[in-house]
Amino acid sequence: MTNCEWREKIGLYVDGELEPREEQAFAGHLQSCAECSAAVLEQQALKKAVRVAGKRFTAPPELYASVHRQMQPKKSTGLWLKASALAASAVLLAMVAFAWISRPSASNATVGQLIDQHVIMLASVNPVDVVSTDKHVVKPWFQGKLPFTFNPPELAKDSPFTLLGGKLVYAQHAPGAELVYQVRQHKISIFIFQSRDVHGDPAAGNQTFVVNGWQQGGLQYYIVTDASREDADRLRELLQDANR
Amino acid sequence: MAAAVVSRGNVSGLENKDFEKLAIPLLDGLYNFARWLCGDPDEARDLVQETFLKSLKGFSSFRQGTNFRAWMFRILRNTFLTSRTGLERRNTQQEDEEGFEESSVSQETPEIALIRRANTELVQSAIAQLAPAFQEVILLADLEEMKYQEIAEALDIPIGTVMSRLARARKQVREHIVLTLGGRRTVGVK
Repeated sequence: MTNCEWREKIGLYVDGELEPREEQAFAGHLQSCAECSAAVLEQQALKKAVRVAGKRFTAPPELYASVHRQMQPKKSTGLWLKASALAASAVLLAMVAFAWISRPSASNATVGQLIDQHVIMLASVNPVDVVSTDKHVVKPWFQGKLPFTFNPPELAKDSPFTLLGGKLVYAQHAPGAELVYQVRQHKISIFIFQSRDVHGDPAAGNQTFVVNGWQQGGLQYYIVTDASREDADRLRELLQDANR
Repeated sequence: MAAAVVSRGNVSGLENKDFEKLAIPLLDGLYNFARWLCGDPDEARDLVQETFLKSLKGFSSFRQGTNFRAWMFRILRNTFLTSRTGLERRNTQQEDEEGFEESSVSQETPEIALIRRANTELVQSAIAQLAPAFQEVILLADLEEMKYQEIAEALDIPIGTVMSRLARARKQVREHIVLTLGGRRTVGVK
């Protein structure tokens, strides 16, 4: 045991809780006090050991998905109640219009599944099955796995988008492709299915993710991302051009 | 083609979409903390979900400038304490905090080598054996790297109690490691 007057500060020093001037003085003291130096080294080693061992559990992907679902607007009616009668009427009218022009709840469920798939990808340590930034590697990987083909866009060198890879996914019991792109700190999922297999209303997205959908050449495409709508639109245009 | 980007109500200057941006990055840490508290994956999952529900509902009472992470951990911990497991643990594992002097210091360097030799399982076993009050403090300090003030807010205890519990927790972890790897030799704490 050390009787040094600084010994009460050892824990504070190791935890970075000393004021800058005091920390500097303590660091200077360590140069001349073997006891305090040993104690600091020990506390640091212990702190590191606890940090490594304490990180024992990782949240499962389905927890990410279910927590995300909890935060969807339909779960929180209290805030909507505060809207004015006029706004409520407008929302109601819009909902009725959407319900009328789009498919029923099964299509919304499809978009929900794709959002879940995107969230699971975000949370996964292995987000894609084929890892490559080269579309000439990713596209052939899907051959034999899907009953259709598609063209990932050729990305310019200065493009903000980077292809990360792809994986096989299922929606409404039909196989499809998920291409994963990165734009700055955001990831974008492109889902591609045969049009006759999968239907989903992109407007069934939520407040967090941009959901974009279109049909082209007999295929149904969806974009799901937390990147901006502009980024989603730019990538959509690249894909549309590549598949004309 | 259609796009959907919906935003919800504005609450105290923060929108609920802000909640998701703030809260999702904490999910892994909250789940890990919940697993340590509950010891059961299903219970931990329920606890985290309930925490998110409560915090989303209570987001209107969250004031900008206060510590969001400490607020979330506080909700999780309070939710846990009112659960059956939490009540049981609280009732059965209280430990006396009196009479403990901070800074258990050793001048013997072999203990440092022992701590460095300790494998993850041994340290996990040491953490698992801590009383809940010590376990939560050491996890928040060393794993979540919270400042003492943050921990005090998350656990609703004074900073002095944070410091004494942390020192006590570290002493017990250290003793567990040294006694396990070094046999029954003197541990070298005061």
